[in-house]
Amino acid sequence: MISTNLLRSELRKVATTNMPLAFLAVLVVLAVTNGVAVAIGTDMDGSKTFISTGFDQQSLVAFAANALMIAGLFGAIAAAREYANNTVIATYLNTPNRPRALGAQFTAIGVGGAVLGLVGSALTIGAVALSLPLTDYGFMVSAGGVVQVIAASAWAGAAGAVLGAGIGTIVRNTGGAVAGTVLALIIAPPLIVQLASGSAPWIPGTLAVVASGIADHTSDIAAVAALGAWAIVPAIAAVWSVQRRDVV
Amino acid sequence: MAFLPRPPTPPQFQLVFDNVTKRYGDHTVVDGLSFTVEPGRVTGFLGPNGSGKSTTMKMLLDLASADHGKTTIGGRRYRDLPDPAGTVGVVLEPNAFHPGRSGRNHLRILAQAVGQPTERVDETLAEVGLSPEAARRRVGTYSLGMKQRLSLAGALLVDPPVLVLDEPANGLDPQGIRELRDLLRGRAARGHTVLVSSHLLAEVQHLVDDIVVIDEGRLMTTGPIASLTQSAAVVRTPDAQRLSDHLIAAGADVESAASEALVVTGFDLDQIGEAAHSIGVVLHELSSQTDSLEELFLALTAHPPAQSPKESVLS
Repeated sequence: MISTNLLRSELRKVATTNMPLAFLAVLVVLAVTNGVAVAIGTDMDGSKTFISTGFDQQSLVAFAANALMIAGLFGAIAAAREYANNTVIATYLNTPNRPRALGAQFTAIGVGGAVLGLVGSALTIGAVALSLPLTDYGFMVSAGGVVQVIAASAWAGAAGAVLGAGIGTIVRNTGGAVAGTVLALIIAPPLIVQLASGSAPWIPGTLAVVASGIADHTSDIAAVAALGAWAIVPAIAAVWSVQRRDVV
Repeated sequence: MAFLPRPPTPPQFQLVFDNVTKRYGDHTVVDGLSFTVEPGRVTGFLGPNGSGKSTTMKMLLDLASADHGKTTIGGRRYRDLPDPAGTVGVVLEPNAFHPGRSGRNHLRILAQAVGQPTERVDETLAEVGLSPEAARRRVGTYSLGMKQRLSLAGALLVDPPVLVLDEPANGLDPQGIRELRDLLRGRAARGHTVLVSSHLLAEVQHLVDDIVVIDEGRLMTTGPIASLTQSAAVVRTPDAQRLSDHLIAAGADVESAASEALVVTGFDLDQIGEAAHSIGVVLHELSSQTDSLEELFLALTAHPPAQSPKESVLS
């Protein structure tokens, strides 16, 4: 069982570097870009059809797929830098039970990813809402739709961060961890779909879209569970590898 | 008569390395290493670069697994200690910090993990001589000496009865080295176990009670530094010939150094003094002639110079 002290310690690790601020800056840039697109962007025919209905606007502000990728990189860097900076030594000296130490670390990084997803979606919704008065359309996403978009982003952020942290712990190298996460979330899924077309509804990007309520390839619950599975598999592999290797 | 309760005896921990071997591929880094580190003493762990000191310490702390043999702290493996972080304070890597995190936050993370209050962080920072202003700065801006002080603060957070320190004096200024020496001697005096590796042999000679010397992963020697570095006794007496004959008959090796001086090996100072007293010889001097730790270290770890390819061709 993970102690509260250990979890608080890991949360402080996540919060006491500039990395979350760097990712927050990325979220701000994405939100501003969305706002500008709403204000001045048009479809190919010059119309603003892409914001003309509540569903279109929910599609625009659905941030879960972005959260998955951004938090994935966040988790990968956070975990791999533990090895790069040798701070992992103190972690395992304090908690020689490695699965327990990793459990606390992944939980804290998952919380960090969830916050990134939540903040990213809130910023995007806010930017779009602020830009819509500059157009002929008002904000038409229902309250339930807003809640679903934010919740899906937070969950996707948590899942992406844990997935990245798992890969970072296995690879132990920041560059390799980032490459591995990009491979897992962007490059590999289309290849998997080509090999097995039935897997299309279950790749991370699709699951994030379904969880945001703008597609129905699977049920929302199944999408949420499947996103969790994408995170859990590398996390378990990381625990397995850490138990079999020297820390340093 | 009232009986006062005895103050509780602090727990003491012996460190045992029992036939420990570690291999990386075909390379044997630690080779059947056995020695013990006693509580109440400061033990110096010495060896050339790459001799396996750090790896041995990592095996003790369960950061690396032994291919053979075992290491224990008070009879238990590190991971089986009820409170490992509260039992062993460790300085292992000189740069085990996130460079973007402040020194104080680094310590707060460690303190939080082991349930220590924030006040303890400030106390420990003061103990190792890091000012509050320095503690607020990012570790990436620290000098090597400041990083060593921060590492030491991490090791002392819980006031552990065992200290395992790998090159803790690296980068410290003379005052810092003196403070470190006082700290470790004080710990040993309280019955704590202190294992410290260092390349600063002159400093180690003043600091440690026992030494363990390894080379290429194998034990070269271990024991009290006083006996390992004592090579001979110098005796000055007006009756040198009679004392010399008596000592030789008793089994000592004796050389005449000057008209009234003898150099005696094989007997310690007590034995020589008693032998002189037994035959009524007056002594004007009885002192030990000691090798420096550096001489001992170099003698134990000397390797024949490798023949360079050029020399091979020329020969």
